[in-house]
Amino acid sequence: MNPAAGLAYACNARVLGPAALRAARLYAERQARGGAGRSPHLAPPLRIAPRCKEMVARHWLEGRHAQGVRKVAWVTSGAPVEFLTALGFYLLYPENHAAICGTARVAVDLATAAEEAGYSRDLCSYVRTDLGSLFSGRTPVGRLPRPDLLLACTNICQTVLFWYRVLAEHFGVPLVIVDTPFVYGEEAPPHALQYVGTQIDEAVAVAEKVAGRALSAQSFERVATRSRRATELWLEILQRNRHMPAPISAFDQFVLMAPIVELRGQAATVDLYAAMLREVDERIRRGMASVREEKYRVLWDNLPIWYRLRAVAELLAERRIAVVASTYTNAWGELAPYLDPARPRESMIRAYTYPILNRGTGHKLHIMQGMIDDYHLDGVILHSDRSCKPYSLGQMDQRERLSGSLKRPALLLEADHNDMRCYADEQAATRLAAFAEMLEAQR
Amino acid sequence: MGALPAIAPRAEVIRHHRQQGGQVAAVLPVYAPRALLRAYGFLPVEVWGPPGVRTSDGASHLQPYVCSIVRNALSFLLSGGLDSTDLILVPHACDSLQGLGSILLDFVKPRQPVVPLYFPRSDGAGAQGFLAEELRRLATRMGEITSRAPAADEILQYVVDEETGDRLLLELHEARRQLPLTNADFYRLIRSREYLPREAFETAARQALTMRQPDAAPARTLLLSGVVPEPTSLMAALDERQVQIVADDTLCGRRRVCPPGRSSDPFERLSQSWLGGPPDSTRGSSLAARSNYLVSRVKASGARGVVFHMVKFCEPELFYLPSLRKALQREGVPSVVLEVDLNDALSQQVLTRLDALLEMIP
Ligand code: SF4
Ligand code: SF4
Repeated sequence: MNPAAGLAYACNARVLGPAALRAARLYAERQARGGAGRSPHLAPPLRIAPRCKEMVARHWLEGRHAQGVRKVAWVTSGAPVEFLTALGFYLLYPENHAAICGTARVAVDLATAAEEAGYSRDLCSYVRTDLGSLFSGRTPVGRLPRPDLLLACTNICQTVLFWYRVLAEHFGVPLVIVDTPFVYGEEAPPHALQYVGTQIDEAVAVAEKVAGRALSAQSFERVATRSRRATELWLEILQRNRHMPAPISAFDQFVLMAPIVELRGQAATVDLYAAMLREVDERIRRGMASVREEKYRVLWDNLPIWYRLRAVAELLAERRIAVVASTYTNAWGELAPYLDPARPRESMIRAYTYPILNRGTGHKLHIMQGMIDDYHLDGVILHSDRSCKPYSLGQMDQRERLSGSLKRPALLLEADHNDMRCYADEQAATRLAAFAEMLEAQR
Repeated sequence: MGALPAIAPRAEVIRHHRQQGGQVAAVLPVYAPRALLRAYGFLPVEVWGPPGVRTSDGASHLQPYVCSIVRNALSFLLSGGLDSTDLILVPHACDSLQGLGSILLDFVKPRQPVVPLYFPRSDGAGAQGFLAEELRRLATRMGEITSRAPAADEILQYVVDEETGDRLLLELHEARRQLPLTNADFYRLIRSREYLPREAFETAARQALTMRQPDAAPARTLLLSGVVPEPTSLMAALDERQVQIVADDTLCGRRRVCPPGRSSDPFERLSQSWLGGPPDSTRGSSLAARSNYLVSRVKASGARGVVFHMVKFCEPELFYLPSLRKALQREGVPSVVLEVDLNDALSQQVLTRLDALLEMIP
């Protein structure tokens, strides 16, 4: 470890920074208690939201000072990371960074830098945002630590394979690919699982080499136990929305999900979600609804529209529509039953082969049908995300089935998860208003 | 210019094969395991779009931001264009083909069986065994469909025979500068491998190779990269300008001409062969591997510039463009990107860009 970097890390990431973030959290909590920024249609955010925000901010703060102190791995959102956490890596999720840029509405500015470097506007806007940040050195989180290792898992898309090739070239560091064959049918064939297992073993070997130490079975199990517990708690939180009225909206979930993605093997994450579950239960006991006048309950499919999260939530809430479930936030809950802390390697193979994005379009429809029943849903909003093809392909047939045999109004809303240039406020408002009318007519 | 050997049109080849009692497999991009299909009596016929179909049929299943190869393939199927086929093979080459395969299996459910085939992207030790097993499963599925059960050595013979076909295809690419063929004819010849039975292709290729002359290339020469040389009017435009494509790096062209495998197990051999193929976007090759390969092809062929002929919305190809162009720039090789939709005629804008490149080639 570089002693100067170690000292800076200890001061900034462990003492001064966290103190400042704590103060910011206390201030946010006080503001929330005073009712600042309340909406007439939406319940206030959960009381725990500032704590969640603080935890995520601390993670990025730590990243700012991690260089030379901890080994850093940049990983895809669906990557098997339990062994990396157990080996002490600091994990950075470029997709989460891009989402932060989207929410902060700086994504287009950054994407433009990537486009000027030759990256087409037809590429995933997360990629353009992150590459733009890399090329321009601009980021809302202060500074991104240079990776020592890159890990790309194809269980969300092939895009990440190309994206990480670009990163590998840029940083000149080892890239590990965990290629998870797409599951077209019900089950992944045995040779596919074996192939994934071999790659996980190879990934562990590379990670051990970079970390300079061997993976201990004990810490691997400990991290897997926490991952499992955190995902179970997350699933329970989501499932509390089966209650009518729903205690939290999918829009809240989009924000509260950051730790389950980037910090899921940590003890603090388990504590956070346990506390969050208690608060959600308290809301249920008090009859508190995420949409004050909940009348219609709907499902959100695909990534959020990060730069219009609040605006879309308000627009719908005004029309008494509560978005109570989403296939996107559900994806991290779905991991829970697969992770077996007693057999971390074997269970990781299944857990990371079966995410919704690595399964067929019919499977996704099946999941949506199940959610419609479980969450008592009246309709579905399918965000047709221009630059995320793996999530969006199949939606036209899914909409057809949902509105046909299932008789649930289903709206295809054209937008993009990070690129505001693909979103027209007026057009979206008109489409959502028409959707509200369809829900009304269906009653 | 010399005369192209006679090449039967696709419809006629399909009709003839069916009349002989054979079955036809429609194979979507990018890689067709021809030997295996032939061993089970299928004639592999590749479907790169095709261009100029009525896309409204596919529009009810696919969003407009999907590439025209996939959109046209689905439209072609829905409008009856694949009625004379008995199997649809959908290799997993990209997110869009993944989506198409899944939509076909789960929603469209055409009359023909739809069989997906996953190609590994890992550089690790498990890739060869995985692909060999994928191919074994494909064989099992074809056995169920056709009730045929060729023995392993029979399949191996098909593999060895198709390797000869590929060797000839490679020879044509290598001999391009010596072949007195127009660009349009050269591409008609090499792309006939997409549907001709191997035997017929070999006859045409051998005939063409006898036409070799001492370097017949004009002064202005190009390398063509990208997806597929459609619309074919691009070739006519190049011929008019007396420009020859002396090297090819298209997805449908040389980029998938793989070296022979070594194993005596046909499935392992096919897998080895595929894994030894040239660097390619749909395999997720490293940027350096692709750049080095492209630069070496430019140097070996004497091409003076590069045309990237892109299909709009093709993510795999778009990702590599900036580094490929940078690598070419370092070598002082000019390049241009022409982005097309399979259904559009060659626009004036595309021609202007092409001419701008040609002006840079003295
Ligand atoms: S293409 Fe979709 S799944 Fe892939 S990184 Fe982009 S947003 Fe994520
Ligand atoms: S053109 Fe590109 S995106 Fe379209 S099918 Fe081919 S590889 Fe996939």
